[in-house]
This record gives sequence, C-alpha cells and structure tokens, in this order.
Amino acid sequence: MQRRKFLNLGALVGLSTLLSSSLHAVNFRQSRPEAWTAHTVDDAIAKLYPNQVIHEGGVELSVPKIATNGGSVPVNVSSSLEAKSIALFQDTNPEAAVIALSIHKNSIIDYDFKLKLKSDGSTPIKITAVLEDLNGALHISSKELIVPSGTCDG
Amino acid sequence: MKIKAKFKGDHIKVKAMAKHAMLTYDQAKRKTGDSNDANFITHITASVNDEIVFEASTSQFLSKNPIFKFKFKGANKGDVLTMTWIDRKGNTKTSQTKIK
Repeated sequence: MQRRKFLNLGALVGLSTLLSSSLHAVNFRQSRPEAWTAHTVDDAIAKLYPNQVIHEGGVELSVPKIATNGGSVPVNVSSSLEAKSIALFQDTNPEAAVIALSIHKNSIIDYDFKLKLKSDGSTPIKITAVLEDLNGALHISSKELIVPSGTCDG
Repeated sequence: MKIKAKFKGDHIKVKAMAKHAMLTYDQAKRKTGDSNDANFITHITASVNDEIVFEASTSQFLSKNPIFKFKFKGANKGDVLTMTWIDRKGNTKTSQTKIK
C-alpha cells in the first residue's frame, strides 16, 4: 500500500513538473500552422506575425557566402534587442519557414543552426531572419549565399 | 540526443545534436511514394530548474541529425539541463546532461 502511495505521489510530481515547464511554452506550429505551409518568405512572415510593423536591422545574420554542402548550411542569428521571438526563412525550398524560436527570460539571442537548402547550383539563396521585439515590432535582416553543387534535394 | 553544456562565467553555452533523419515531404515521396511519410522534429525545448531556456518550433528544413547551439543565463555548474524533442509522428525523446 505504501509503495502504491509512493508511486502515485511520484506520478503527481512528474505531471506537475511537466505542466509547470510547459506553461510558458509557445509552439508556433500549433498557434500559426498556416505560416509553415506558406511558399514565399513574405507570406510566411505575414502569417507568423500578422499586422506587425517591420523595421530593417536590429538582428544580425551570419551565413557563408558559398556553402559547400546544401544539406548542412551553417547559419548564426544574434541580437542585442529584447525579444519575444525570432524566426528564420529561406526562398529556395518548397515552404519558406525554417525555424521559430520563443525567447525566454534567461535566453541569450545567439543561435547556430544547420539548414537544408535546395539549390540549382547558381541562383543566390536568400536567408531572412525576423525578430519580434517586446513591443511586437519586427526587425528584419537578410543575407544571400550560393550553394554551388546541388547537394540537397530539400 | 548528444548534449554538451559548459558554464562560461556569466552564461552557459550548449551544443546539442538530435539524432533524427529529418525526412522532408519531397524526400519521403521519392523514398516511399507517400509524402505523408515525412517525419522531422517539430518542437524542441531545453529547460533548467523548471525554466525553459531554449524553445524552437522547427520545420523539415533543418539538416539531418540537426545541431542546436544556444546560450542562456541563470544556471550554474552541476545544474541539470533537460532537452526534449517531438517529431511529426509524435515520437519524443528526452535527454539530460549536467552543466560542466
């Protein structure tokens, strides 16, 4: 009987931990599903951040000028602004949205990811970063790169 | 998931790799004939002491076995970093590491 009580208590603690840690979670795939099926960068931004004012700059984006492997293109995004979220888009794959990050109290905006980018070998690919600040304004920055050989099929 | 978390004085630096095929809709269609077989990580979080420190909603366009590098404040050496991902098919994986 005591063992059963102990197990029940354990399950309750586990559940409350799960609930407390998921309380502030924001899943953009659930809250903005239409943003993930948009085919153009502008459309994806408009669907992820509807009716928001866009400012140039305020977010730094670092990509190689020439990526050697389209299946794994390094991208760094950083900013000193206080933000609610930050998202990355590209204009070569079938859908534009790549990743959307929620910024939490202890987050530092300095992220590195590796992207899969479809390429014809010569057309420049544009990567766009959008940061949503605490007032809801958007800050945008973009960089172009070339993936010389078609190493990724998106 | 392979996770390295290092205390750097005023922040913690994390490098994590999730082992996942990250199969796109196009790749799935070519492989199995059905794009609905696509499967990729859709949401990933990292937390320390019940506080979320990293959270990303993700698409099919991260690399195979995606790597996530991020930094955060408010934790110390010895604290446990917990990372959890869920994919399109509902599979989930949780891994933990101590901050060194």
